[in-house]
Amino acid sequence: MLEHRAIVILAALLPMAIVPAAADMKYPDMQSQWRNPTAGRGGNPWDPNKPMGLGQQAPLTPEYQAKFEASLKAQKEGSQGNSRGSTCEIAGMPKMMNFAEPMEIVIRPNIFYFIPVQVPTRRIYTDGHSFPKDAAPTLGGYSIGRWIDEDGDGRYDVLLAETRHFKGPRVFESTGLPLHDDNQTIVKERIYLDKSNSDILHDEITTIDNALARPWTVDRIYLRVRKPIWIEKNCHEANPHLTIGNEEYFLSADGKLMPVSKGQPPPDLRYFEQPVRR
Amino acid sequence: MSRTHGVMAYVSFLPLLLAAIAVVPAAHAQTYPDFESQWKNPNPDRGDAWDPSKPPGLAQQPPLTPEYQAIFQASVQDQGAGGRGNNYKSSCVLDGMPRLMSLTAPMEILIEPRLTFFIFQNAFVRRIHTDGAPMPKDEPPSYQGYATGRWIDEDGDSRYDAFEVETRNFKGPRAFESSGLPLHNDNQTVVRERLSLDKSNRDVLHNVITTHDSALTRPWTVHKTYVRERNPRWEEYSCQPPPNAVFIGLEEYRLSPDHKLMPLRSGQAPPDLRYFTQPQK
Repeated sequence: MLEHRAIVILAALLPMAIVPAAADMKYPDMQSQWRNPTAGRGGNPWDPNKPMGLGQQAPLTPEYQAKFEASLKAQKEGSQGNSRGSTCEIAGMPKMMNFAEPMEIVIRPNIFYFIPVQVPTRRIYTDGHSFPKDAAPTLGGYSIGRWIDEDGDGRYDVLLAETRHFKGPRVFESTGLPLHDDNQTIVKERIYLDKSNSDILHDEITTIDNALARPWTVDRIYLRVRKPIWIEKNCHEANPHLTIGNEEYFLSADGKLMPVSKGQPPPDLRYFEQPVRR
Repeated sequence: MSRTHGVMAYVSFLPLLLAAIAVVPAAHAQTYPDFESQWKNPNPDRGDAWDPSKPPGLAQQPPLTPEYQAIFQASVQDQGAGGRGNNYKSSCVLDGMPRLMSLTAPMEILIEPRLTFFIFQNAFVRRIHTDGAPMPKDEPPSYQGYATGRWIDEDGDSRYDAFEVETRNFKGPRAFESSGLPLHNDNQTVVRERLSLDKSNRDVLHNVITTHDSALTRPWTVHKTYVRERNPRWEEYSCQPPPNAVFIGLEEYRLSPDHKLMPLRSGQAPPDLRYFTQPQK
């Protein structure tokens, strides 16, 4: 009988013992490597449910729709249009959430980290401070966030993030789908695990920008990588694009200059004393 | 003691026992030393001298083999003439190890049980694997190499004090510093590091780095220190070559004020134009 009572007391006290561990577990299980399932398929559309380019049906203003179409035309003719990918300049927000390579999430009480392979780490500050008044504008912007316990179970479910303080130029995708030159973009994100499959991470991204006729929301998803692989990939070394003055060229696999379009003349070499090699 | 008293004594002891169990996760979180912070090079104005106790360049007196001493001197001479020598950073080739650890910009450390992250403001993240697993057989060589580490409890107080790291599996070219102080082209470098907080000042982090490399006549050990920044600010970094530099393969050229390609040095050959069918403009 007494042994039975002891077991009952033990059972009653057990939850007390679990409390501190539960406190440690208040964040959702996002700490992992994640990959973008649309990366590496020969394109990386902003809205992953639609094809890149005009297929995105972006809610652009007429002025920016014209800029977008001019970019697409320029790319067809061999140039880069609005895309700055050929310069290896970092993409900035919101395009950086396209993650061409895997990224890792690390959570600390004050900061949520996106740690990618080949672009700068993104920090979302969750310590409750507001946007600093003296934040220098950047391509990635400045991000603050707050955790939400939606179902009241004492565990956070969703991270709400907001990003401001941008510089440009920035685009949504490599087709050159543009953001406004005034850089007054506001990006709002809702980051959470899929309720039926915790190996899927959602990032609902709403972009508010003067190039858009209305806020544009896309639901990007990332898949958990159970056996993470890290690749060192440097844009500059893999970059086949080269600009001399205002002219664009390609670099061949053997490191030689090539035309980007048929009939393009070679660069002017008047400053060289040595004979031209062909 | 009667059976009744024995059971009651056991029951009265239970809260203490359970409290001890409950504390375990918190104690685990306290296992690691207080490395998680932003760290800076205390003397960024002195350049990126590999041995911080000496000026960069030839004054480093590195223990190079005669062959690599000659390569180093040629680099210093080329830089004196306006070239980049062995310093490929100017075309945004990655710094790699061990040069990364000179911290030319701030770094943050994050510790997870299986991985420790060194997050650099101006370089890719460095990952140090602490799960005890060997390097995967198909791991491609990289500028940063593959790093494994283990935490050491030196004084037996159940809290780690030092972090020992070994890094291998490199590609190149790499240099110790921007003067072009070279590592060997065979890329068989092994870098061993020992990181620990200063015992009298927890805002100072020591990193004793020993490099084993075929360009050196003996292992070369330097002692770097980093200072903690309690109010970190981060700048956005995106490596871009100098606006007047043009890199075609490994050759470096310049852009003239009228936007035409120019040689960097007297007598430099122009680029190979074999892929162009049109005559020059």
